Amino acid sequence: MRRVTLRFVYATLVGLVLAGIVHVVAVLAIPALSEKDAVSRARASESLDHPQPIYTVATGDDPSPPEAWLPIPDPAVAVGVCAYDLADGPMRVSARTGPLSLSLAAHGRRGAFYAVTDQAAVRGALDLVILTRAQYDEALAEDDENDPSRDVRIVAPDTRGVVVVRVIAGLPSQRPAANAAVQAVSCTTDTPADEPPGKDPAAKDPAAKDPGARGAGR
Amino acid sequence: MKLTFSQGVGRPMAAGGSEPVPRGARSGTGRLAARLWRKGSIAGLVAYSLALGGLLGLASADWATSGGYPFGGVQVGAWTAWPRAGAASADPYTRAVNARRGEIPLAVGEGLLLTAASDDAGQALDATCTYRIGGGTPPARAWTLTVAGRGPRAPGRPALREGFTSTEVLRSADGRFAVVLAPDVQPGNWLPSPRASGPVRLALRLYDTPVAASVGSLDRSTIPAITRLGCAA
Repeated sequence: MRRVTLRFVYATLVGLVLAGIVHVVAVLAIPALSEKDAVSRARASESLDHPQPIYTVATGDDPSPPEAWLPIPDPAVAVGVCAYDLADGPMRVSARTGPLSLSLAAHGRRGAFYAVTDQAAVRGALDLVILTRAQYDEALAEDDENDPSRDVRIVAPDTRGVVVVRVIAGLPSQRPAANAAVQAVSCTTDTPADEPPGKDPAAKDPAAKDPGARGAGR
Repeated sequence: MKLTFSQGVGRPMAAGGSEPVPRGARSGTGRLAARLWRKGSIAGLVAYSLALGGLLGLASADWATSGGYPFGGVQVGAWTAWPRAGAASADPYTRAVNARRGEIPLAVGEGLLLTAASDDAGQALDATCTYRIGGGTPPARAWTLTVAGRGPRAPGRPALREGFTSTEVLRSADGRFAVVLAPDVQPGNWLPSPRASGPVRLALRLYDTPVAASVGSLDRSTIPAITRLGCAA
């Protein structure tokens, strides 16, 4: 019986070590396997040209609609997401600045890798182009030195992700405008076919290569 | 568990030994039982270790990632700042929590989330008590101070106000503000308790703030103080 008890203790220890391994593997696997994370849930909006509203702020007597799946949303901030799949081509996000503060953040599966607010806008426009390393090199090669582009080019860590648009409504009366400002952002896939040759994104913005002071990935 | 296991395994052998069987057959069955016991116990122990490892591992992983973020918070007074929640360098637990909840955390360039579940004296925030949340905030383009209970909102309770933004809060002449979180109507910035009783949490979101990149620069004097004024019950 003594040997049995020893073996039992040994089996328990092995079980505990296994539990540790299973724990670590499970925690690391959750982001990849989850079907409820932002990137997976937003996939439906890949074909849209505008952000999918995931949190519209309550206006007047209208409460926030139930499409909101953010666990603890900020009641004064309208949120929309544009999902992208870079296999279809680079993703272009264009926003016009308005009276309300707006921010764009690019999230991959591992987390946010870039964020910018409308204070970085050039002449009232904020153009982000999210591309893969290969697409970035291609865009660089096609750059026209005489026609510099205002695009901010960001190399994404993986092909799928979301761009999150947040607009803050400081006052209740600004809430309809905040919801509208989220919808006013355009998210389109750049395909080489429909890109006019003259407007080709040219000499890259210095901010494009380096996410810079506002870069989120650090 | 240990006791039941060894008892359960031990019983067939004891039963086999006590049965009145012929001598030759008995030694045969005894050997067979001994062999079965050895093999069975090894198989049983392996199954036991695998089950223990699997169940304990999955249960602990579920427990660690089902609530809030287990790590990565920076305590500043009563508030906890979460600077890394949205970063690509977030720890695996934070990433797992975000993935399970469908959360889209604020990125470093966007803003900073601070949460509080207790007051400056360390007592848990309760919906029946009255609190004064006042002072200044770190430099930010905009901020919102919101209150939430744990779990879903109580049904049938009118949604009067869930929070204040930096634009709409009433300030004193020196630019500081005081929000009163109370179950009953208060003069000034009244933030109604979200539920009749139970724990509540406060969230302070700073948007477009330089503090997000350097949480070390936060200290008690730059964030709102949470003072308990009294409790109804």
